[in-house]
Amino acid sequence: MSTDDRSSATPTGATDDGGGDESLVDVRNLQTTFFTDKETIRAIDGIDFTIDPGETVGIVGESGSGKSVTARSLMGLIESPGRVLRGSSIRYRDLDTVRSFADAFSGRTVSVADLESRYDPVRVFDQTAATPAEFGYADPADVPLVDVVAAGYGDEVGLTSGDECVFVLDGDAGDPSSIRRGFVELTRVSGEAQRKMRGGRISMVFQDPLTSLNPVYTVGNQIKESLSLHQGLTGKEATQEAADLLEAVGIPDARRRVNEYPHQFSGGMRQRAVIAMALACEPDVLICDEPTTALDVTIQAQILDLIAEIQETRDVAVMFITHDMGVIADVSDRVNVMYAGEIVESADVEPLFANPKHPYTEGLLNSIPGGQVGGRLATIDGSVPTPNEEPTYCRFAPRCPKAFEECEAVHPIPVPVDETADDHTAACLLYPEDESTEAAIARHRGRSHGGERE
Amino acid sequence: MSRWEYFVKRLLLTVPVLFLVLSFLFVMLRMGPIDPVAAILGPQATGGDAQAIRERLGLDEPLWQQYVDFITSFLTFDFGQSWVVQAGRPIIEIVVGAAPATLWLGFWAILLPLFIGIPLGFYAGLNPNSLGDYTASFGGILWQALPNFWLSVLALATLRQTRNGGGPFGFDWYAFGPDFLSRDISITGTPDFDWFSTMDLLFFPVPYVSDWTALAIDVKLILPPALILGSASMAAELRIGRTAMLETVNANFVETARAKGLTSRVIVWKHIFRNALIPLLPVITSEAFLLIGGSVIVEQIFNINGLGRIFFQSVTQGDLPMAGALLFIFTLIILFLNILQDFLYTIIDPRVGYDQ
Repeated sequence: MSTDDRSSATPTGATDDGGGDESLVDVRNLQTTFFTDKETIRAIDGIDFTIDPGETVGIVGESGSGKSVTARSLMGLIESPGRVLRGSSIRYRDLDTVRSFADAFSGRTVSVADLESRYDPVRVFDQTAATPAEFGYADPADVPLVDVVAAGYGDEVGLTSGDECVFVLDGDAGDPSSIRRGFVELTRVSGEAQRKMRGGRISMVFQDPLTSLNPVYTVGNQIKESLSLHQGLTGKEATQEAADLLEAVGIPDARRRVNEYPHQFSGGMRQRAVIAMALACEPDVLICDEPTTALDVTIQAQILDLIAEIQETRDVAVMFITHDMGVIADVSDRVNVMYAGEIVESADVEPLFANPKHPYTEGLLNSIPGGQVGGRLATIDGSVPTPNEEPTYCRFAPRCPKAFEECEAVHPIPVPVDETADDHTAACLLYPEDESTEAAIARHRGRSHGGERE
Repeated sequence: MSRWEYFVKRLLLTVPVLFLVLSFLFVMLRMGPIDPVAAILGPQATGGDAQAIRERLGLDEPLWQQYVDFITSFLTFDFGQSWVVQAGRPIIEIVVGAAPATLWLGFWAILLPLFIGIPLGFYAGLNPNSLGDYTASFGGILWQALPNFWLSVLALATLRQTRNGGGPFGFDWYAFGPDFLSRDISITGTPDFDWFSTMDLLFFPVPYVSDWTALAIDVKLILPPALILGSASMAAELRIGRTAMLETVNANFVETARAKGLTSRVIVWKHIFRNALIPLLPVITSEAFLLIGGSVIVEQIFNINGLGRIFFQSVTQGDLPMAGALLFIFTLIILFLNILQDFLYTIIDPRVGYDQ
């Protein structure tokens, strides 16, 4: 049974997410919106990307492009007035996690096969705002039920209660050890399950090490907090483990340092301590939200080396967020370029830097300082717009040097840049490169992300 | 400099402050507008009587000698005798007699803001812009805007109205709890502390409550004035508590704590609460200063023979040594509160005394 495998069906658009079932984290049509009195800000507007086990995925873009909101959506840290909209799906596929969650939260575990026997997904499209297009299909009959349910539409038609967060694709939901395939749906975890996920499976390193540690508790205390929560370590054992962690992230004299307060640490040391804290529970995914932005350049290099070393020795996948193209080139395996809440280009790091396709990526690369001595640094004029209305045009068009008439009328979607490069996509009307402009525009016009709209 | 070195330094700094206050009092007493002899004997006094008083007070000695005598006597709590208020009686006796009532009043007046104001403020800060927040904040502003003396008079009038079930829903403050009518006690007056005894336990006198009814009577006597005395502080602490909470909730380390997977209970009580207390601490202690000023009026209205009332009388009647001694004692209380504040700071915030 391969209901989860989108590439086996034939989607009209070619947004194959590349990761397929092997990816550890699979983000699909993620939409995070902030509802304020004045306006509705679509901070994340339907993005897709994957993180494979042990790989580093870079997310790059200017301030306000939605990078941090993406990270917080994965962590479940979006707070009112923000919300991850229905239609979004973030799947976490680590098998151990799925089994242990199915064990711990049996009431929130469902078997997809069981759901399929009870319901025909086509009916969902009659009864809800869901469209086949948002799942990447033209024909409603092709849409796997699991996609519909994971995105939250099952609740609307009474198929699911809203509480289910563990989906079993292959195996018996009642017998965790028999599960061979499945995922935890991060947009649906809550309460205890969410706390187990946060810090336990996915942990996060924040931007400003100076303020991300609590000033009134010792560094050791704050690391031990994680250890006792997720590993049940307390007392001497925990202190020992905390000191070991500090040592592992390169803090000298860790046994003494563990009893010191954050203000006794330098900025770089504090970031190391925050990383130690994030590693306390041996996470599978480490989200680094601009971990080096607040540090000076030499410390920045040390922290980057540390993250690379951790990744190698502990085999964690890293989602690295930064606005610095230079840093991205250094650390990433794969890069997603974000602009105004959308991923405008996605590719492996070498092709992206050697052969950037989207005009925005080109602009970012041209504005890396240090390329030429003397002369003016290239910039992209203007700033990122606030995405507060539905996109019916290319959000980058007002700043784009290559913009043409249709850019104002058609919203581009991520498409392969040419036939041969399946994992290099760009959301720009100029692509696919090997199609005529008219054909390309028609392709972009034909599809749009759907999802909850209000 | 470690936290505790810093604390000791602050402790030592109180010494010069004490001397400054004493010197100021000396100048006021010896060189001020009121002639001690005239204050004791009346303005027309001359001759032998006046000379006798001058000699008794040491007014003929050289000024430096008088200064040294003054300082040493005040530091040993030898304040001399009252001139006017209770003429001829040793001041220390008067103070010891009046202090318990004021301490009792102050104790309850501090307790109320601490245990009502701060929790309400924290609640409002954790639930900003909710109905509860609006109610608490609006109540706080209203409560703070009402002056002590006005509230006192109003409260007293209202409580008197309830006699024999004249209050709303038949409420009778006289009969509420320990019955005041049958015991023939006024609803205002000085607590007598009959409930308080000590027993010798292993050679040390250990205080204990010997009469619970007497304790209830004393609590009932003090609650209305304490509530009014503490009201402004309560409102201030509510508002500062709300702001402190709001600021701390949005701090980055709170997000880090959430990202760790901690429950919101641990986040609030461990990570937010202690940090929110830091800006609140000076407010609490400075509100305690206000209580001293407020007690002057409230004690007068509620007919409590406490330090505030005696201070009020000695100031209006020109009893300079009495007023001076009370000022000195108030200064000691304030210095003590300052030290307490530094001590609490040192405990709560590890950054205290840290040189950048």
